[in-house]
Amino acid sequence: MTGIIKALLDWLRSLFWKEEMELTLVGLQNSGKTTLVNVIASGHFTEDMIPTVGFNMRKVTKGNVTMKLWDIGGQPRFRSMWERYCRGVNAIVFVVDSADHAKIDQARAELWSLLEKPQLYNIPVLVLGNKNDLDEALTAEELIDAINLKNITNRDMACYSISAKNQTNIDITLQWLIKHSKPKQ
Amino acid sequence: MSWKKDEDGDELSALMSLDQSAVLQEARMFNETPIRPRQCRILLAKLMYLLQRGDTLSTTEATELFFSITKLFQNKDMSLRQMVYLAIKELSEISENVIMVTSSLMKDMQPKSEDLYRAKAIRALCKITDVSMLPGIERFLKAAIVDKNQSISSSALVSAYHLHGKARDIVRRWGGEVQEVLNGKTASSGISFFGSSKSNTTTAQSIEQYHALGMLYTLRQNDRMAVAKIVQSFGGGSRGGWNIKNPLAHVLLIRYAVKVMGSDPSSAETLGSMLEEWVRYRSEMVSLEAAKAICELQDASPKLVSSAVSTLQSFLGSSRAITRFSAIRALDSLAMTRPEAVQPCNMDMESLVSDNCRSVATLAITTLLKTGNEASVDRLMKAMQGFMSEISDEFRIIVAEAVKNLCVKFPQKHSVFLTFLSGALRDEGGFEFKQAIVEAIIGLAKTVDECRETALAHLCEFIEDCEFTRLSVRILYFLGVEGPATSMPTIYIRHIYNRVVLENAQVRAAAVLALAKFGSAPQSDGKLRESINVLLKRCLDDRDDEVRDRAVWALHFIQTDTKRIRYMRDDSTYPMRTLESKLVDYISNHKNAEKGPISLSTIPKISREQDLAQSSAKKDILSVTSSNIVSPNINKSTLTPSEKADQPSFTNTTQTAVANLSLVPDFSSYGNVLSSSSKPVELTEPETEYTVLCHKHVFNSHIVFQFECTNTLAENVLEDVYVDMTSSDDLDDSISPLAVVTIPELKFNTPSSAYVSFERLNADEIVTGSFECTLKFKVFECDSATGEKLDSDDPGFEDEYLLESVELSEADYILASYIPNWKSEWDRIGKIDDGEEHEIISSFHLPHFSNLKDCVNNLVVVLGMFASDADLNPTNSVAHQALFMGLFESRDKVIVRARMTFQKSNGVTLELCVRSDNPNVCNLVMSSIS
Repeated sequence: MTGIIKALLDWLRSLFWKEEMELTLVGLQNSGKTTLVNVIASGHFTEDMIPTVGFNMRKVTKGNVTMKLWDIGGQPRFRSMWERYCRGVNAIVFVVDSADHAKIDQARAELWSLLEKPQLYNIPVLVLGNKNDLDEALTAEELIDAINLKNITNRDMACYSISAKNQTNIDITLQWLIKHSKPKQ
Repeated sequence: MSWKKDEDGDELSALMSLDQSAVLQEARMFNETPIRPRQCRILLAKLMYLLQRGDTLSTTEATELFFSITKLFQNKDMSLRQMVYLAIKELSEISENVIMVTSSLMKDMQPKSEDLYRAKAIRALCKITDVSMLPGIERFLKAAIVDKNQSISSSALVSAYHLHGKARDIVRRWGGEVQEVLNGKTASSGISFFGSSKSNTTTAQSIEQYHALGMLYTLRQNDRMAVAKIVQSFGGGSRGGWNIKNPLAHVLLIRYAVKVMGSDPSSAETLGSMLEEWVRYRSEMVSLEAAKAICELQDASPKLVSSAVSTLQSFLGSSRAITRFSAIRALDSLAMTRPEAVQPCNMDMESLVSDNCRSVATLAITTLLKTGNEASVDRLMKAMQGFMSEISDEFRIIVAEAVKNLCVKFPQKHSVFLTFLSGALRDEGGFEFKQAIVEAIIGLAKTVDECRETALAHLCEFIEDCEFTRLSVRILYFLGVEGPATSMPTIYIRHIYNRVVLENAQVRAAAVLALAKFGSAPQSDGKLRESINVLLKRCLDDRDDEVRDRAVWALHFIQTDTKRIRYMRDDSTYPMRTLESKLVDYISNHKNAEKGPISLSTIPKISREQDLAQSSAKKDILSVTSSNIVSPNINKSTLTPSEKADQPSFTNTTQTAVANLSLVPDFSSYGNVLSSSSKPVELTEPETEYTVLCHKHVFNSHIVFQFECTNTLAENVLEDVYVDMTSSDDLDDSISPLAVVTIPELKFNTPSSAYVSFERLNADEIVTGSFECTLKFKVFECDSATGEKLDSDDPGFEDEYLLESVELSEADYILASYIPNWKSEWDRIGKIDDGEEHEIISSFHLPHFSNLKDCVNNLVVVLGMFASDADLNPTNSVAHQALFMGLFESRDKVIVRARMTFQKSNGVTLELCVRSDNPNVCNLVMSSIS
């Protein structure tokens, strides 16, 4: 009996209420996480030079999906706390500065150590190579190789090359994210 | 309604029985989606309750909790967010990585955020931030200080106040903003719009000014001039107008004003008139504070005092009990020093005697007792007795002390007081109260001879059933001192011996000593001594070691006259602080034990009277906290309170000087200090850039000059500071310079010592002479707040500073010490007949002294010897005799008798008689006078 009522309520809810999803953005400092969140939220690019101390929390509604964005600071002192904010989210967004070749190795190491955490097992990951408006930026394929993404097989993965500044590929990013809004049952 | 009430009750009992682990379990709900604000809020409240209750969380638990709480930032519920701020503040000390919420809190404190969020976010932010992050948020905090919203401004100011301890340099830069708040430029338009019509004097109005003032003072407190300027510019109503609207801020200003007056007497007049303005201020709180401040001033003008009293008088009729209480309390303390100033209020206070607030009534009576005349005493005491049992111990102590003072004022009324006190002694009461009563009775017994025996009888009765060991011991001691001189000492002996039978070990030990005192008193005859002997012998079987020891000891000396005098009737004692520091010194270095037992001969002795006077003076200072009020009647000596206060402190400076001396490795081989100058000599004018005090220490074969230097310039730091001494007399054959110890770094306001030491080439020769002194050093400019050098590469520049010359005189070789039983010593030396001169008498005519007191003061300085208070304060203006005692090089006893007479036409005629075992010393002392 209760099962039927619950199913009914769920159906009603899907008619009137929007879908909710939770996302966590991580990545090395100066990879453009906060800027990306601002672009997604407001549609405008603003050059934000203040590093995030701790985290920022933004709620963004796209269509009938409400996204909760946890934007975590990328400085070394905050990296140990990424995991705490990644637990139980619908997807992890890992932002990489694709134009900063020197830090790619470091980014790969941080991503791999994050994905090793058992608590985060199965959570889909989206890797974004930001700043593709710059000449020296890696393409998506180069990035996949650099970060060794092909070897990650235990979860949903995707990698896009985007530019928060020129708003390139923001739309496909959002599509991928909304596709993952349903929590895995 | 009843349902709601039940729910409240349930919640309360649920809180009481909270379990920490259950709460931590429940805390998982913070991670849930969607967030349930109401439940989360209640859970946070439970958490706060746990922490307030004193439960402790481990770092892991707290960190776990903290991070789940950060998840709540996603919810916009206002009351939940406020709980979150509180929780962050509480956890900030326990959890790790609290810095994580910095960005979120900074977002909440931005001007575009809700006002309700902003103030609290600022407070939480300042709790979690660390000094390295502070520059990043400084801009926002500065803006928040001058925000129009008073709660935001207050929050920023209070946070700045807390941050000041951690990051002084940064917070110091906010002084301008703080000042702006005080000037009222930022006063919120909303408030002033309504403010003028509504009550002007609530504490909440312009509260940010109160916080700003406290902050500004914290920033400037080290700069006396700046503090004075704060008081001047914000205090005066006539000058800047009342820019300050908050009454609490005015109260603060008054306190600062009092501080300024204390440190700078020249400002007393202007600040006094400001206090007078404050007394008339429209807020009750402010005028009370001002009146209280005036009452506590040492030397307020009568006009000022009367304005304070008339304000307090008007408050006596207030309808609010708290106002009446504050007013009468201020008057009560004023009545201690200036009863005549309080007299105009007598009528008002009479009506307060029947006040329904007992505390007010009590204080009214004690005040009236101080201001009233003898006739009213009976009536007031009767009224007092009526509700003695209804008031708390604290007030009963006040009453006991008032009665104690009255005994001195109206000795004829002693029977009334004694009846009252003995009645109070029988009442139920705590230790403090009983102690006050006992002290009052003892005081009465000491001052009024006629009632001594009755008082002792009351005390005896009290110890028969006394639950306080300390009081029993006190009384037994007093019985031992006073009892033997009474007409019937045997009565007391019975009471005392009862204690030996019935009491605990501590009391028994005290009783044994009291018995011994009876046995050894000069008044006791053979029969009495015999019975005491019997009683003491019984004590030899006591089960407590201490009691037995004392009994054995007492029995041993009670038999022989000389031992009795030496041990029981010794009228000298060691100053306890000096003795203590000496012993601590001895213990601290284990090498001392190898060298041999500690020598007490270098500790100056003082008479018991002196010791008593000093300790009672100290007690008075302690009991009357801010103002040291010593009723001149209590202590019969004529020392003024300030002089009394000085005495213990100056011996302190000598002690610390000697203690510092032992820390200098250069001097460790010199042995013990034979004598140190009792009072440091000032080598500079007060209020100069650098002040130098000189202590002189004489060793067996060395002389050390200690120069205590203080740098009074905040913007300078000195290095390699030393004193260059050159002798103007020809002393090269007698002493040779040995070592100069420099001060590596002399910072602002932290005194340090430089030393110069000489070797005495001939130990028997008493070297005297004067030395020219120059202070030499390198100056560096520094930041006045941190003491850091402005430029680390600055080589500094050499400078010197001429000091006054130092005199090495005969007095420096004499240790000012009391000589026990000096009378017999005096007679003994007088009788020595070995052909040498042990006594020198000589007369001097000193026309330049205009009274005897000056002459005595001068003698003390020149001789550098011990003299009792009574000897130092001539009571007779025509003739006076004073005795000075000391130990020459801690060895030879010297006693000087000075007889002096004074005639207007002739000045002072002085006759000195010096006696000593060592004839050379006699000559020496005499030569120091001439």
